[in-house]
Amino acid sequence: MKWGKYTPYILLIPTLVIIILFIYWPAVSSFMLSFYKVSPFGDIKIFVGFDNFLNLFKSKTYLNAIKVTVIYILVTVFSVIFLGYLIALLLDNKVFGVKFYRTLIFTPYAISFTIAGALWTFMLNPVAGHINYFLNRFFGISANWLTSQPFALISVMVTSIWKMLPFSIIFYLAGLQSIPEEVIESSIIDGANNWQRIWKIKFPILSPTTFYLIIMEITHAMFDSFGIIDIMTRGGPVESTTTMIYRLYLDSFYFQKTGEAAAQSVILFIIMCFITFFYFKFGEKSVHYQ
Amino acid sequence: MKRFVMLLVSVLLLAGLTFSVTTIEFWHAMSGQRVPLIEDMVKDFEELHPDIKVNIQFTGSYPETISKLIAAVQSKNAPHVVQIYEIGTRIMIDSGVIIPAQEMLDKDPSFDIGVLLDPIVNYYTVDGKLYSMPFNSSTALLYYNKTLFKEAGLDPNKPPKTYDEFLEYCRILTKKDSSGKTVQYGFTWPTHAWVFEQMLAVADAPFVNNNNGRTGRATEAVFNNEAGIKIFKLLDQLNKEGLIINTTHEDWSAARQNFISGKAAMLITSTSDVQLFEEGLKSNNYELGTAFLPVPDVSISGGPVVGGASLWLIKGHPDNEIQAAWELMKFINNEEQQIKWHKGTGYYPVRKDAVETLHYELFYAENPNYFTSLLQLLLAKRNYNTAGAVIGVFQEAREIIENAYDKMVAGQMTPEKALEWAENEVTKLIKDYNKFYQ
Repeated sequence: MKWGKYTPYILLIPTLVIIILFIYWPAVSSFMLSFYKVSPFGDIKIFVGFDNFLNLFKSKTYLNAIKVTVIYILVTVFSVIFLGYLIALLLDNKVFGVKFYRTLIFTPYAISFTIAGALWTFMLNPVAGHINYFLNRFFGISANWLTSQPFALISVMVTSIWKMLPFSIIFYLAGLQSIPEEVIESSIIDGANNWQRIWKIKFPILSPTTFYLIIMEITHAMFDSFGIIDIMTRGGPVESTTTMIYRLYLDSFYFQKTGEAAAQSVILFIIMCFITFFYFKFGEKSVHYQ
Repeated sequence: MKRFVMLLVSVLLLAGLTFSVTTIEFWHAMSGQRVPLIEDMVKDFEELHPDIKVNIQFTGSYPETISKLIAAVQSKNAPHVVQIYEIGTRIMIDSGVIIPAQEMLDKDPSFDIGVLLDPIVNYYTVDGKLYSMPFNSSTALLYYNKTLFKEAGLDPNKPPKTYDEFLEYCRILTKKDSSGKTVQYGFTWPTHAWVFEQMLAVADAPFVNNNNGRTGRATEAVFNNEAGIKIFKLLDQLNKEGLIINTTHEDWSAARQNFISGKAAMLITSTSDVQLFEEGLKSNNYELGTAFLPVPDVSISGGPVVGGASLWLIKGHPDNEIQAAWELMKFINNEEQQIKWHKGTGYYPVRKDAVETLHYELFYAENPNYFTSLLQLLLAKRNYNTAGAVIGVFQEAREIIENAYDKMVAGQMTPEKALEWAENEVTKLIKDYNKFYQ
């Protein structure tokens, strides 16, 4: 078979058609819609220019959603990275039954976000849940975990951390196991103690993993948090758990405000562009690759 | 072989001519134990009309169903009949994609609208036109646990009537253990603004202007009135004294659980749960009681607003399919099906003949709780306040009212401030929405 000049392009056509239909075209129409006010059934469109964006940044509701998202991302990503690394260190030890522990610890990863939300909703039920039962039993305290501030946000964050933790443990564990024995041995000979080995030697060696995980966890927290929030709190109380993605869902699918929702998706798009940009720009330079 | 194929083709063609089957799509939002009920209805319909095939589909919750309908309409793939919740009425009228039920009724002498219960017809009639076919109608109802009433020394046959009595009952019914932890609450609810709307109508007050949007498009919210404030004050008091369990927003099932398990002695939720509570409470050895929604004062008497959903006919389909869809809508609405539906759920039978038949069968004598819910509806005052509000931004208005409630509970706002804030926000939404239709 002879390869003509255009053969590669012909072979690319099927992929291109699908990408254009399902990714580029919707993206372009989102951009266009963000400049309109759209009636619920989409039959009436009023051009409003940048009003949708301006109104978003003037609206307390949206500013609050940004605040909640920032808190949510900072807390969950930091905890997932930090705890993930520590647990991976423990699992890296050769103790009896370590494979069993590993399997147990990885299970949340196999569960979907929605099911994680449902599980924790059961446990956090104010009158029949396990968590209040034990708290009340041992400390004589209890809380309305999902319906009062600030507990609702805390509950949602804990659930997300629980759910996302295995992902970082897997990566850290793989990284730890691939650190050459010589490095560790020479550090012992040089007299570094355990603490120094963990933070001054192993952690820097794993910096590519850390960097990759931070990016991944940010995207997780931005977009996948939706399932957990929808199941556990529906964004309440007083919007204290309404993140940007949940706000987008509400405006688009509950309130039929297509224009405003499109503007929000453009904002999320821009944020993701920044994250990707930083990933490529600094990811290569400042991270130590072995 | 060739001959055989020819024969088969001609037989199929012949069969096709004699039974040309019309296929229609029917989307609904009924989940759980209501799915088999509604599927049986469709099966009965298909048996009666072998030339019509109905593709029945569960399309998620009410808001999800409306979202899917919008997507389907835009991709020119709309169903024929779709079940839309009551507060979607304004959006559906404005959508321009529907055939008002009135148009079909005017052409069809076999159906007299007089057979439907007045309050239900009133709800779905806007500007003098019936827009959709009533199907599953409900209102809010006060459910209470007679066993817990007895334990607390209250007369189980005297449910509270006014807000003052209601508050007093909640105090009596709330119990704490030795460590000070509340083990039984007086009241629970699904933390749903729908309950607020119901109580507002029971107090005979309007939700929006222009006679609740029924004599002209509503332009302002007006629920920050005396009646509204009294409701918020009552709820505030219940929270301050720790007599109420709140759920997350619009969480019907959490409220049900609180009530069935006996953690709360009273509950305001939909009449469509009567059947569920009859069984649920019995399995926990409790006895169920039902009562009208409380009023601010004995001198005031409005009535609950019809909630639930109705069936809408979507245009843009061939005539034979529209006709088939109309037959389905009438069938679901017929006496026998409505009786089955009523008994299986607690939603009202939307027809007078169904109520009559049920009475002859002694159904209401044997099931007083079903009777309470029906009686509350039938005894209601008939005016614009109890007909219910019609606005296009209802779903978001509810979120705002629920947020106002949260702010009040968290102590960030007084009941008056919270309601004033909510009213302003909802007015803004209404004005924004109306820009499309000026």
